Amino acid sequence: MSVASRIRKFPFWSWLWFILGALYFILPLYATLDFSLRMERGAIGFKAYREAFADLEFLETFGYSTLLAVMTIIVSVTLIVPTAYWIRLRLPEARRLVEFITLLPFVVPAIILVFGLIRVYSSPLEIPFTEIQIGTPLTMLNIGRFHLGTNILIVAGYVVLALPYMYRSVDTGMRTVDVRTLTEAAQSLGASWYTIIVKVILPNVRSALLSGALLTFAIVVGEVVLASFLGIPAFGPYLFLLGQHRAYEPSALTFTTFLITWAAMGIIQLVTGGQGQTAGAH
Amino acid sequence: MSFLTLSNVSKRFTDFDAVKEFNLDVEKGEFVSFLGPSGCGKTTTLRMIAGFESPTSGTIRIAGEDITERAPSQRNVGMVFQSYALFPNMTVAQNIGFGLRIRKESEDALRERVDEMLSIIHLEQKGNSYPYQLSGGQQQRVALARALAIRPQVLLLDEPLSALDAKIRLSLRAEIRAIQRQLGITAIYVTHDQEEALSISDRIVVMSHGRIEQVGTPFQIYNFPETNFVAGFVGTLNTVEAEVLDSKNGLLRMDGVQFKTSQEEMKGRSAGDRIRMSIRPERFSFVTEQNRKDNVLDCIIENITFLGSVVRIQVKIAGVIFNMDTFNNPFLELPKIGDKHQVTCSQEAVMVYSGEASA
Ligand SMILES: Nc1ncnc2c1ncn2[C@@H]1O[C@H](COP(=O)(O)OP(=O)(O)OP(=O)(O)O)[C@@H](O)[C@H]1O
Ligand SMILES: [Mg+2]
Repeated sequence: MSVASRIRKFPFWSWLWFILGALYFILPLYATLDFSLRMERGAIGFKAYREAFADLEFLETFGYSTLLAVMTIIVSVTLIVPTAYWIRLRLPEARRLVEFITLLPFVVPAIILVFGLIRVYSSPLEIPFTEIQIGTPLTMLNIGRFHLGTNILIVAGYVVLALPYMYRSVDTGMRTVDVRTLTEAAQSLGASWYTIIVKVILPNVRSALLSGALLTFAIVVGEVVLASFLGIPAFGPYLFLLGQHRAYEPSALTFTTFLITWAAMGIIQLVTGGQGQTAGAH
Repeated sequence: MSFLTLSNVSKRFTDFDAVKEFNLDVEKGEFVSFLGPSGCGKTTTLRMIAGFESPTSGTIRIAGEDITERAPSQRNVGMVFQSYALFPNMTVAQNIGFGLRIRKESEDALRERVDEMLSIIHLEQKGNSYPYQLSGGQQQRVALARALAIRPQVLLLDEPLSALDAKIRLSLRAEIRAIQRQLGITAIYVTHDQEEALSISDRIVVMSHGRIEQVGTPFQIYNFPETNFVAGFVGTLNTVEAEVLDSKNGLLRMDGVQFKTSQEEMKGRSAGDRIRMSIRPERFSFVTEQNRKDNVLDCIIENITFLGSVVRIQVKIAGVIFNMDTFNNPFLELPKIGDKHQVTCSQEAVMVYSGEASA
């Protein structure tokens, strides 16, 4: 479509609202960028970025958070994809209930989640209504200096926090391609469950999975409450601390995380380009 | 022996009987339609043949083999869905070849069969297109080819044309029928469109509330409906309540006007019984010297509607309005609204059924 015909299609008011909306998002971002470039008095430069990236702790915490994010994505995908698939396929009446459960992380504040997690997992496994206890508390499960228990705990917490986003992306993806009918079509052609899932379902929900994964990544990398209370060296608490001591570097890092997120979105667009079209009438 | 047999098949969903005591024999190469209103159990029956639902009781056999409990993937039954259900991530050729690949056919045999199917559905040029690049009609042809590529024993189609617009619906239904004849495949076709069922089928199964009302050729179903439901559902119908005057001679009375019928249904009724009387619009005609025989009825012209090849004239006989259809032609002399006329219909055209008139 040519630019001229576009303008004719979108009259004045549409443009006005579009620009206002865009400004609402872009202005703060621009302010952050502008501020982060003014570390040296009277000059525009990347000093804040150089200093921020030079900090070893930045690399460590960001790397650690990335690892946590990847683990969270793996766990939530293995948990949610089969669940959402089975509900679409065989238990449509359970959808409302599961949707409600996936919304709970919005209703229950993260701080409550933290204390719940600690309370449950820092005591030994108790067999209900008895005095019998088995196993060590999860929080004390360590391998050398590596706090395995805490890591399991935090990933579990992140899976819960990311649940609404992941479930919704996956479920919407499954609805748009109508996995149930696709499954039946494949079955009538003689396909086994393995073939159906690997050749038919996964390729068609791939873009939904990717967008769920991206959202999960963004949540985990920016998360502060859970990480602070469990006392783990993640990126969120680091940025928070940095913000209390420094002025320019946090802005630089914030802007950088934005860029990384956008890059990830761009990659998703590239990878899924031309795919993800829905079956159905045109 | 028949090729596909359903014996006493029933399906109950928690507390609802969707299909009741369904019995049907389909011959090899036959094209059978399930026709009935929404919710009458057509899809459920079809899904039981495909294996997506398992019957609460009864057995299903294909070529003598009991397949009632067999998984859908082990049945060798092709299925065409209303929503096409093409795999969006695969090209047309990959979609058609999907079932063959699962059957581990060699690459050469696979390519040959895919090309053959593409030419049968006249989409030779579209092998490398993705489903979203095709029109709805083209997508459904690909879905048909995909189902047929595996040489299924039975082809099942669940309202395959209802997502398409009227023009394509007509041409594609003719194409489906032609391909089915060409390949000699046994087909079950679900539709709630009576015209579609009448035009495409060898036999029609008319269903209502999970039960079979009548099984017969389109000719039998249309001309000799066995139940009032079939008479009303297939084709247009004038239905009125009448009173038995003389059951031996087939005499009825409606609003003081006498009708004569030749139907057996009248036997064994006593004078004064209330009964349902039905007459198809095309069985009425204006009285001429030749046809002045039974049922000569005085009427007033109420309304005239053009329906293309047919002109529908509403006539008032006593206090009741009947539809009457005559073929359109340029020399037709139409009456004027309000004119008094005489119409007639043969005694065979007057169908009677037990029960009160509902409408
Ligand atoms: N999984 C199910 N659970 C409960 N009831 C069902 C289920 N599937 C179908 N039914 C019910 O069984 C009845 C028959 O459904 P079916 O889909 O066979 O109707 P149909 O004749 O195909 O109708 P339509 O023309 O609308 O497609 C309906 O009343 C429907 O509500
Ligand atoms: Mg149906």
